[in-house]
Order: sequence, then C-alpha cells, then structure tokens
Amino acid sequence: MTMSAATQNAFAIGLFSTTPPPSSLTAWNGTALERRYSVYRNNIIASLTEALVSRFPAALNIVGPDFFRAMAQAFIRLHPPRSPLLLAYGDDFPDFVAGFEPARELAYLPDVMRLEVARGRAYHAEEAVPLEARTLADVEPHRLRTLIFKPHPSLSVISSPYPVATIWAMNSGGRPLAALDDWLGEDILVVRPRMTVEMSGLPPGGAAFFRHLAAGVNLAGAADAVQHAEARFDLSANLAILLRSGAFTAFSQGTSDENRHDA
Amino acid sequence: MKTTIATLALAGSLASALAAIATPAAAEDAKEKCYGIAMKGQNDCAAGPGTTCAGTSKIDYQQNAFKLVPKGTCVSMKTPTGHGMLEQGPAPA
Repeated sequence: MTMSAATQNAFAIGLFSTTPPPSSLTAWNGTALERRYSVYRNNIIASLTEALVSRFPAALNIVGPDFFRAMAQAFIRLHPPRSPLLLAYGDDFPDFVAGFEPARELAYLPDVMRLEVARGRAYHAEEAVPLEARTLADVEPHRLRTLIFKPHPSLSVISSPYPVATIWAMNSGGRPLAALDDWLGEDILVVRPRMTVEMSGLPPGGAAFFRHLAAGVNLAGAADAVQHAEARFDLSANLAILLRSGAFTAFSQGTSDENRHDA
Repeated sequence: MKTTIATLALAGSLASALAAIATPAAAEDAKEKCYGIAMKGQNDCAAGPGTTCAGTSKIDYQQNAFKLVPKGTCVSMKTPTGHGMLEQGPAPA
C-alpha cells in the first residue's frame, strides 16, 4: 500500500515536531504506532545532530557537547534539511546561533562557526590549480590596471570584529588555549589551493580588496576602492598574499578603465 | 578629490610582492592522496567519473576514490584488496 501525498506530508512535518503521529498512519499489526513513530523521529534528529557535531568541531569544543547538542536540536526542528547532501547541512546554523538567546554571551561564536562553514565548503569544493606567480610577472605594466582575476572555487573571505581564527585554532588543536590579551577583529581568507584547506590572516583592507577582486572588479579598481576606505592598506603585502595563498586560478585582460588618468 | 592608483605604483607593488614570495619555497602539503583505501561513501573529494565529490564512492576500497593521509604513509596501508596506491586506479566494474 502506498501512502497518500497528504499522509506523507503529515509524516514528514511530524518528524520535526513533538505532536502525536499523523492520524492517517497505520501499523501492519495495528499496535505501538506512537512508539514506532518516535523511534523514527528520534533517529532523524540524532543523525542530523551528529552531522552538525562533525561539521562544527570547534564550536562543539567551545560550548561543550551538552550545550551544543541542545542548540543543534533546536536548530534542526526549525530547519529540516532541504537537500540530501549532509555535507551542506547547517550552512545557516551560524545565523541561527546568532539569534539563540542562551548563546548570546558568546558573541564571537557565530563567526567562529561561519569560519567552520567556509572551511567545510572549501574542503568539498572542486579542485583547481592556483595561478602561478611568474605568469603575473610577465604582464606588461600598462596592462596591470585592468586585470580581472578568477577566484578559486574554494575561496571565501570571513570578516569578524572578534579574533575568530585565533579562537578557532585554540579549539582545533592548532594552538594551546591561552588568554587573549588583544581582543582584535580578524579577517581571514579561506582556500584549498591543493589538498588541504588553508587560512591566511588578512592585513587592514585585505578583506575588501579580495572581495572586490573575487567579484570581478579589476586590479586598479579594487586597489582604488580600498585605498579610499582604509588608509593602512598595503597593496604590496596584499598582492603577496594573493600570490602565495592560491586564492585565484587565472586572470584575464578587462577592457574598461574608467579611473585612468595617469600616463 | 578622488585619487587613483598610478600604473607605476601598481607595477612597483607587484614587483615587491613577487620578491617577497620568491624567497621561501611554498611549503609542501603534508598530505597525499591515497587511492583504494576508503570505505564506501567515506572518500574525500574527486572520486573520478561517475561520482561527484566527497562521500560518493560506491564500494569499499574503490580504486579511483582517495582519502587524504599523512605524507609517506599511503603505500604502507594494507586493505583486504591490496595496498594503498598513489595513482588513481580504474572505476569499479
């Protein structure tokens, strides 16, 4: 016997609530329907909780397993998966945590989790060979202004008013736990140029510079925009990060150069 | 007044960036791709034609699916179907 669409719908919705099973359900021998449905419901919530646990190991470490699981279950009930790919489940968990009252004192937690999302995306992104530095060395100087860079498929830029990369590293075994004296914001570039996900801390203006370039703004346009907004912007240091990190895979010659008025 | 970056400044910045990265050779990855050792559905990215990406291998020890393992350890791994391989093997029949 197949289930009607209405029953399937009630079955699915019921899995993420605490209501009794849909009244249209039947069991083969007519007994223990409620208990069987609860087993099903429990398995779904437990497996999605484990998926989130494995995606956010640093956050788990920060708040502890009991708090994390309770927070994850509150999220799961409101945000059932929309794709069968569990590796993408929880992309919007950091946004939920930002509005989750019991976690409000941990203001940095959502940004640490955004960093974990970016790392997960980079890990699963398509492979691509990064730009080789010497190909840029061969570009004639007057053509540099209009270069447009192609971002690596794994590239993300995370900006936070909190030292999220440091907090992440301390909760991922990368550095020992220690008190943070300088509670300064951090901007991080996340990319997987070869096999492993790598992160580079960005100097002032770097986050905006890389975002402009990744959005297709040409080199002079990106440098101009950031220089106007951030006096400490060091173009040379940022270009070194661009070349060293593997954040871009290719460049092409753009045509328009509206700002040009130098020789 | 809106100022714009000069071509000369751009070229100079690039030259010093190239000089800055020229000194130390990029650190080699500490991992290597090891084919033929992953359990079904436990592979890392790029399992070859017919699969999309991570977690898509169809059988245990699939010859064209890899796991990342610490460098130098791949070929010493023994599975019921043989040792790990650094080169990609054929897709399952």
